[in-house]
Amino acid sequence: MEPEIELQRHGVFTTTVEQLYNWGRKNSLWPLQFGLACCAIEMIAASMARFDIARFGAEVFRPSPRQADLMIVAGTVTKKMAPQVVRLYNQMPEPKYVIAMGACAISGGPFKEGYNVLKGIDRYLPVDVFIPGCPPRPEALLHGLMLLQKKIAAQPLTGPGRPRYLDQNGPSEFPCPSYGAHDLEPLCNHALWQPPSVREELHS
Amino acid sequence: MHSDSWSFLALFALAAVGFALAPLIIAWVWARAYSPRKPGAIKNATYECGLASEGTGWIQFQSDIYLYGIVFLVFDVETIFLMPVAAAFQGLSFGACAAMSVFMLLLVEGLVWLWLKGALGSRTKYCYGTGN
Amino acid sequence: MIALEELKSRIAAAVSGAQVEIIPNPSLANQPSILLDGPHARAVARFLRDEPDLAFDYASNVTGVDWPERVIKEKIKVKKETGGVVSETEETIERKTPACLEVVYHLYSMALRHGPLVVRLRTGDRQNDVALPSLTPVWRSCEFQEREVFDLFGVIFQGHHDLRRLLMWEGFKDHPMRKDYVAPDDYEYEPTPHDQTLERARRHYPQEAAQS
Repeated sequence: MEPEIELQRHGVFTTTVEQLYNWGRKNSLWPLQFGLACCAIEMIAASMARFDIARFGAEVFRPSPRQADLMIVAGTVTKKMAPQVVRLYNQMPEPKYVIAMGACAISGGPFKEGYNVLKGIDRYLPVDVFIPGCPPRPEALLHGLMLLQKKIAAQPLTGPGRPRYLDQNGPSEFPCPSYGAHDLEPLCNHALWQPPSVREELHS
Repeated sequence: MHSDSWSFLALFALAAVGFALAPLIIAWVWARAYSPRKPGAIKNATYECGLASEGTGWIQFQSDIYLYGIVFLVFDVETIFLMPVAAAFQGLSFGACAAMSVFMLLLVEGLVWLWLKGALGSRTKYCYGTGN
Repeated sequence: MIALEELKSRIAAAVSGAQVEIIPNPSLANQPSILLDGPHARAVARFLRDEPDLAFDYASNVTGVDWPERVIKEKIKVKKETGGVVSETEETIERKTPACLEVVYHLYSMALRHGPLVVRLRTGDRQNDVALPSLTPVWRSCEFQEREVFDLFGVIFQGHHDLRRLLMWEGFKDHPMRKDYVAPDDYEYEPTPHDQTLERARRHYPQEAAQS
């Protein structure tokens, strides 16, 4: 990066194809209209005049997953809704990203003990950015979007660190949970999510 | 001089075709390298707001939806025909006025027929599907 | 609004055979309710809706209660005669009320602007005799709410035209709001656990794993 910044100081602008490609993608992320609960109100506020997500390129919230490349899961994901969330994610074309907005989408939130609450959408989907809060302020959503943009800017086109959609061996879609007699089956996608590690203070 | 102008024409024609084809070729090359095909069963399924869809999305639409398109087309064409008549209205002969009036009367008769048939009315029950 | 005793006598007069019981509410809310019996509930509901000076035309809330078997201790005064002396002593007797499921309706009158009237219906049992008449033909707003009570408590409403689960999915087997519902053991660590959560955490993360 250093020689480019040197050159930029002298007024010469150079870039690589990778940077150009990532710049185009990160500045035109189109979210899928996916508000589930109260975090959706903050997402709507972020898209309105005062906080204006449009200046980041994310102004058109698409109703169809076929036209979107960012899914902002905003709100509590109930177990009844979980298969539909995963199916909609699968129906989005690559490259696609997921932002888990709010405590409920991250881990179940304040309703974690509920009989119908999925304890975090990262059990079934690969989440790129987590935005904590209950609900997070629109500025927090914009900060999360900017973090995602930084992440996209750093994605290489080739090599071992390349994203899933460029990797022919990576999964093309994620399995939808099905409705079991007492809970969803499977409980989580074991390739994506493992229970958190043991803490010693439990047995102190 | 003839050969000069023809060669210019050939050159510009080539440039035009190249201008159209070059982005397509670049996109095709990029897609070959950096857009691997990764289909999936759920990915290619019909979109139904997240529900598991059964069958394709090709349903039998209510046939009188097309009437709106046809009505618009007919009256749009009539408007186009009326424009030169309106522009030359002062200097028209009697025969021309008579012909134009007959033309308009025929179209008004079509409008009356549509009105009586109810194609212009408000729809109280409007649902897609097979009948209803 | 009309007093409950007067309402009870009017219902008894209008619907023959109806059994109405007034359940007092000595708490701060002071909202006594009337308990109706199953077979006459719909007739009483129609009377409450159609009677001109009652006009309860809006059922704003339908909810359920799961009553386990309760032991109620009552103190009564008993007259005892010992050796010719009549004395009054207080004795506590224990009464068991059977376990049942209860459906509670809150009725308001939009026309006459009074309410709420709290109406209860009780099932006979928690397992087998769980049928109650549906009041959806009387008040349309009961439709979804009775579906919710069926989903969460298991009360079967007879006469409901579309009784399916509302919040849970079709193949779900339990009724989550019952007192004996056991949630599936799907533990996920949370910081600073205590009480039940700590017990579950210790069960899921045994000592050997912690020391390794």
